[in-house]
Amino acid sequence: MSTQNKMTVKDVMLGIKNFPVVDKNSILKETLEKMDFFGYGIACITNNNHELLGIITDGDIRRKLLSVQKPLPAFFIDDAINHAIKNPTVTSSSMSLANAIDLMEQKQVWDLPVVDKGKLIGMLHLHPAVKELLI
Amino acid sequence: MNNKVVKIGYGKVNRVEIGHKLPLAFFGGPCAIESKDHAFFMADAIGKVCERINVPWVYKSCYDKDCRSAPDSFHGTGIDEGLQILADVRNEFGIPVVSDFSDASWAKATGEVCDLVQVPAYLCRQTSILRAAAETKRPIHLKKGQFMSPWNMKNSVRKLEAHGCDQIILADRGTFLGYSALVNDMTCFPIMQKTGYPVCFDATHSIQLPTSMGNISGGQREFIPHLVRAAAGCGINALFMEVHDNPKTALSDANTVLDLKYLENILSQAKIVHETRLELLDKFGEDNVHPE
Repeated sequence: MSTQNKMTVKDVMLGIKNFPVVDKNSILKETLEKMDFFGYGIACITNNNHELLGIITDGDIRRKLLSVQKPLPAFFIDDAINHAIKNPTVTSSSMSLANAIDLMEQKQVWDLPVVDKGKLIGMLHLHPAVKELLI
Repeated sequence: MNNKVVKIGYGKVNRVEIGHKLPLAFFGGPCAIESKDHAFFMADAIGKVCERINVPWVYKSCYDKDCRSAPDSFHGTGIDEGLQILADVRNEFGIPVVSDFSDASWAKATGEVCDLVQVPAYLCRQTSILRAAAETKRPIHLKKGQFMSPWNMKNSVRKLEAHGCDQIILADRGTFLGYSALVNDMTCFPIMQKTGYPVCFDATHSIQLPTSMGNISGGQREFIPHLVRAAAGCGINALFMEVHDNPKTALSDANTVLDLKYLENILSQAKIVHETRLELLDKFGEDNVHPE
């Protein structure tokens, strides 16, 4: 366990091309398609400087579907950023993996965007992170 | 939402700015360009009304009416003569002008003369038309097709933006309700404003009864004032009305154009409702009832 505790987020995180990241002008439909393509329940929304503007998760969409009153086509074409969580919990690449998983437990989330110097550089997904700690 | 301001006018003509909390602008003129003399007469007459009641405006008239119902209906002066007349109107009266175009190959010439380039409602989702419109580098007046939902217009906006256009006005001219009727859904204005662009109400086409007279369209002009007041109260940024000094002899849309003699009355009411709405905005703030 002591060896495993030396692992950091950087060792396990997904690279920027391996999880859903969409541009700030993306509509909800495009965002959902990207989440479906990668098979993750989260999408990160960034600007041209790769700064994280917000995230959308399956849970957010589920809650929206239960509350939104407009037609589905109108919902699909909304800007994704308008339905995003603007100040999500994030981690840094240098955080220890154990602490990052503690943070996930506290916040009850499965994914943490990894932000270094203000820029999105990756994402920590719970399953591979736990798997590494259990080895 | 980032409210955008659309700036119309180049060269030696008046500038018209359209956007959130700005004065209501007017786009008006005869549906089709009929002759240079008639265009000058209408520009002078409408200009005097707008000057009297202090409404910024853009002269509207088209050189080719490509969506007439009958093959023998007046089609227009044609692009060369029509654009020359519009250029003459600009020079003589110092006002910006707008015309639509129905063929992508006409866009460049239209943009070289017109301060505002209009995309016809029937063509509002045609990629080639939207690309050609954007490439004129002029502000675009994009009419919502009668068959389009207001949220679907965002797809057309994105096509314009994809080709470098960030000066767009979205207009409602009614939505099909059955075969020979249109209806105005006033919620289309706040929905289209969510794109960030200003919106316009086309009053004289909204009262049209498409092909209700067999091979031509009819219209119920008596409802223009009601719809104009409703749209102005709803928060439009510009008002569009086709105007003619003698509707019975108008070469296009004779059953829907507004008689010039009513223009000052209706435009004055629209201006008052618009200004009242701006006062309400100051007093009560932006509409924020049950936000999503």
